[in-house]
Amino acid sequence: MTQLLLAKETLKTFVGRNEVYLKPLGKFLLALAAFVMINSYTGYMERINSMSIVLVAALMCSFLPLNFIIICSAAFIILHMYALSMECALVALILFLILALVYFRFAPKDAVVVLLLPMCFYLKIPYVVPVCAGLLATPVSAVAVACGVVVYYMVSYVAGNVSGLSALEAEDMSGRFRYVVDGFLKNKTMVVVMIAFALTVIIVYLIRRLSIDHSWTIAIIAGTIAQMVVLLLGALLMDAEVSTIGIILGSLVSAGIAMVVEFLMFQMDYSRAENVQFEDDEYYYYVKAVPKVILSRPEKTVKKINAQRKKKKSH
Amino acid sequence: MIHEERVILMSRLQAYEDNEGKKDIATANYFRGDYIGLQMLKSVIYITIAAGIFYAGYVFYNLEDFLKSIYETDWIEYAKLLLTRYLVLVIGYALITYMVYAYRYAKAQKNLKKYYGGLKALNAMYHEEA
Repeated sequence: MTQLLLAKETLKTFVGRNEVYLKPLGKFLLALAAFVMINSYTGYMERINSMSIVLVAALMCSFLPLNFIIICSAAFIILHMYALSMECALVALILFLILALVYFRFAPKDAVVVLLLPMCFYLKIPYVVPVCAGLLATPVSAVAVACGVVVYYMVSYVAGNVSGLSALEAEDMSGRFRYVVDGFLKNKTMVVVMIAFALTVIIVYLIRRLSIDHSWTIAIIAGTIAQMVVLLLGALLMDAEVSTIGIILGSLVSAGIAMVVEFLMFQMDYSRAENVQFEDDEYYYYVKAVPKVILSRPEKTVKKINAQRKKKKSH
Repeated sequence: MIHEERVILMSRLQAYEDNEGKKDIATANYFRGDYIGLQMLKSVIYITIAAGIFYAGYVFYNLEDFLKSIYETDWIEYAKLLLTRYLVLVIGYALITYMVYAYRYAKAQKNLKKYYGGLKALNAMYHEEA
């Protein structure tokens, strides 16, 4: 454990020193991962399906604000859908515009959740996003998580029904539009997942704010279990299709990742916690002070055994 | 000589000013009513656009039914129905906006008060030294 904590301190100093370079690098990698995933998941438009375009777009994102990645990703999705059919692009455009206008006007910082959630869905560990959102953000992020679920199921519905879409007559635009909207809005799995994820954010947030020892760890475990139970029960009650093993394994991996996040963001030394009480004219104060775990890195001293030879002066 | 306390205070104040402070100062430049009013106006515009987009999508979704019933519909009644729904939506959204931005304004003011307190303390430190 001490070794790990030391490693964390080293990492912290390293990040602090090189933030100027690491920030754009992080953005670049995130953008690259997002675009590559979108291309491999949909990839109907040949023109933007090339690595050079992805690299250029990711490079551009690396020095622009974070939300630009989200705008670019939305553009990629809409373009791919457009290559498939106009109606799909229209559905995606309407969805993104409404999300942007109604919700992300209030909480532009939450928009990154909508990007991360579909990416984690792609990696089969979407369960980590609501848990981490509960740990690091506010319960309002539940809305952003729900939006992310909708975006993922919209894209995945289109990707899974390419043949069904092309079977419909090309002239019947309204019919195709209806086909896409019906398909993804009447998806019971989506509703179950939305409810489960939103609940998880709120549960994790409430528990981690409690004044109990190890509140973050308890929040992660309780949130993960609650999420699994709601997903499985909901799927059973609403007759939705989910993979039980997938949920259990994914949740376990997600809980592990959440623990890593906890380790990086929050380390308390509960053995040295102090409960103090005092009062002033108006209030009683019950204060619990928990010290952070802080380790100082051992200083390396280089001891020179051989005295350095002085340069001989040439006469 | 480096005055350690002063440097700490100065870096804290500067860190605030560079990050959160920028927004807070911009917020507190308005009077409360003006700030919230402006945000509500923006909200009404945004929600109107969003509702327009949603309605266009809805019409497109039900295009066939619309075309079939185009001569049978009582358009005035229909417009009234639409207008009431729109008003309920706008009022609800404006209320949420009011609450969110009233909270943000109060928070910005509180932060700035702390910041100005810090500046005062800094000033006092300089005077002490002189």
